[in-house]
Amino acid sequence: MEPLLRLINIRKTFNSVKDQKVEAVDEISLEVWEGEFLCILGRSGCGKTTLLRMIAGLEPPTGGEIFLENQLIRGTDPNVGLIFQEFVLLPWRTVLGNIEFGLEVMGVDQAQRRRKAMEYIKIIELEGFEHQYPKELSGGMKQRVAIARAIICNPKILLMDEPFAALDAQTRFNMQKFLLSLWEKTGKTIFFVTHNVDEAVFLGQRLILLSSRPGKIISETKVDLDYPRDIHSMEFIRIRKEALQQLENN
Amino acid sequence: MKWFSGLLLLISVFLWQLLSWLGILPPYRIPSPLGILKGLSTLLVDGLPPGYLLHRHALESLLRVFYGFGIASALAIPLGIVMGWSKIIRAILTPFVEIVRPVPPLAWIPLAILWFGIGIKSAAFIIFLGAFFPILLNTISGVLMLDVRLIEATKVLGARETDILLKVLAPGALPSLWTGLRIGLGIGWMTVVAAEFTGVKSGYGLGYLIMIARDIQRPDQIVGGMIVIGFIGYFLDSILRRIESRLLEWM
Amino acid sequence: MNLKRAKSLFMASAVLLMILTPLLGNPCAMQKVRLGYLQSDLHQLAAFVALEKGFFQQEGVQITIGGIFKAGPEEMTAFASRELDVGYVGEAPATVAVANKVADVKIVAQVNLEGSAIVVRKESGIRSLQDLAGKTAAVPGYAQVQDFLLRKALLQNTIPSRSVNVIIIKPPEMIPTLQTKQIDAFVAWEPYPAKAITKGIGEVLMYSGEIWPRHPCCVVVVDTQFLGKHPDVVRGLLRAHVKATHFIKGNFEEASKIGTKYTGMDLETVKLAMKSIVYEYVPDEEGLLEYVTFLNKLGTIKVEDPGEFVKRIIDVTHLHRVLKE
Repeated sequence: MEPLLRLINIRKTFNSVKDQKVEAVDEISLEVWEGEFLCILGRSGCGKTTLLRMIAGLEPPTGGEIFLENQLIRGTDPNVGLIFQEFVLLPWRTVLGNIEFGLEVMGVDQAQRRRKAMEYIKIIELEGFEHQYPKELSGGMKQRVAIARAIICNPKILLMDEPFAALDAQTRFNMQKFLLSLWEKTGKTIFFVTHNVDEAVFLGQRLILLSSRPGKIISETKVDLDYPRDIHSMEFIRIRKEALQQLENN
Repeated sequence: MKWFSGLLLLISVFLWQLLSWLGILPPYRIPSPLGILKGLSTLLVDGLPPGYLLHRHALESLLRVFYGFGIASALAIPLGIVMGWSKIIRAILTPFVEIVRPVPPLAWIPLAILWFGIGIKSAAFIIFLGAFFPILLNTISGVLMLDVRLIEATKVLGARETDILLKVLAPGALPSLWTGLRIGLGIGWMTVVAAEFTGVKSGYGLGYLIMIARDIQRPDQIVGGMIVIGFIGYFLDSILRRIESRLLEWM
Repeated sequence: MNLKRAKSLFMASAVLLMILTPLLGNPCAMQKVRLGYLQSDLHQLAAFVALEKGFFQQEGVQITIGGIFKAGPEEMTAFASRELDVGYVGEAPATVAVANKVADVKIVAQVNLEGSAIVVRKESGIRSLQDLAGKTAAVPGYAQVQDFLLRKALLQNTIPSRSVNVIIIKPPEMIPTLQTKQIDAFVAWEPYPAKAITKGIGEVLMYSGEIWPRHPCCVVVVDTQFLGKHPDVVRGLLRAHVKATHFIKGNFEEASKIGTKYTGMDLETVKLAMKSIVYEYVPDEEGLLEYVTFLNKLGTIKVEDPGEFVKRIIDVTHLHRVLKE
């Protein structure tokens, strides 16, 4: 079986203000398999967001190639969905309007759009909020809308950039459970980036640890625990401790 | 608080009338409030020149403003969005904008009369010049101030350039754009009055009216005309404000 | 005497001298007079001549220019705010200002008679006043003399004034708008009619003298308070004015050259214009009465007794004294 996503020797160098070269990402190669929940774990500023933006097609890599189903990624692609940490909904559109956006752009007619969007409103459990504006929603609700907006277009892979970092602990926990149930239901491939070790171990089937400045793969760990995971179990604590150690050493 | 300022206004008007009666404020220097009311009523009932009634004057001026303002908006809004979006276009057009903008619209009057005559087109042209730049500049800044990530998020969802222009930049720039429209309309309304001073073919216009009142040395009618102009200007802006609060309820 | 004493004596005498000198000066010291006139108005040639040839100074009147105005009403506003003492101005705006109690002046002399014309576009096909029906004509100001002249002309030819679209445009804009067919005719004071002719754009349909022979146009006005305080200065002014008026009559070439200097128009235009202006200094009471009656009817002013008003506003006592000399 071929991997869904392949990164080959990805490098990213930025020109800083003083015209110095800053290496954000240094020679990263990895594979993502269809249907898996992959977590990229690293400290803040380790280049993981840059990595994500390159896969999304928003930044060109300085070196290396990215293949989605053997097609070279050259720019943004609706096959690659992206969830931001700050939600980034269109503030002038209602919940429905935001969810429908991708379908609108694809040219789907209004009746069909509306039907599908209403389906997803049910999935994200926001019935009754269809005509609210983002300013009236809580952080968790906004992120759910963002997720619906992304997956309604049926992307092959869903990239998530620390999507729950801006939420309070309780909401974050609920959202993690929500995401897992969504993943189980839809079977989507999820590429989840975070700096939160607990979160990564709780969610991911596979963990890839990234070092800081420049971003380089330290190690790869499989997390073979069943869902839902018990954060107090011995295995959970062991994996967690090891991950923390590796991050600290690098 | 509002009733307090209303009360203050009433008191000052009363004092003004009193001073006028006492002869401290002579009527030829500054007409009394009653005198202004009388002048206003003659404008309404008899008209100036006789037979040319106030509401017709107001209507003509409004028509000129809508004409000029309408064209200014139709041109400035799309141009502003494009200039905000494209660095190249912005770099090419900005010098032209910055050279023409500081020239007061009234300075164009002799040229306007040469090109368009003294009909509605020349007044509309002057108003266009007054309204165009605030709308353009506010639209550009509205686009420039947009969060880049909004554009990125829509790009990722498959938005092409036209989608971004129409579905992201235009609505996103709307708050700033609308401020530009309000400023543009205000300037346009002020400009129409002065633009009419040089003469109008139809014989109607509020600025034209004031010029005639000036010719016959009737300061009461001059101030009466000014009050009408002020009220209409306020009224126009309040309409825009109402629409604004509807359009921007998402903010 | 030591140095210190010498110094203080010197200072004291200097100060004394400074205080006394003005008192020691000529008892008939020159009174500064603030004069106003209209820009590019050839009717007021007497003022230009008097200024250019120094006639005012010769009569002991020290002139400062209080303002050069685009139109009569503006000049009258300057009188209202006490910025002018004397002015060359159209009789119409002066009358309206006094009747509406905006300014308080007296007419002390005439400046000119006639000197306006109805001008039509060259190939417009308008040959007579009847042809003006349904057309657009411009006048320089509402209820001004030119507006009155047009109405009078129409009335004399039993043409209803409603049939002509009369609008107000300032004279500098009249010629371009005539050329571009925005208007079909205009009524203005010289030199604008002459300019339309020399530019090849228009031709005269009727001179104002044909409509209302020897009608009054511009006058010399004096602020009433100033007149009360300095009647001798006003008389000196009038002497200069009479001298200048005679000068124009006897020295056409030189007067026209002065005209080009002050109006900025070319010699050909000025000479043509001067031919239709009658320079005269005796005020015409009858003419003013007719005009005041017209304004009263129009509702522009409300004067109870036009005859009494005319007698009140015209003060020829000083002119008569000067002429007797």
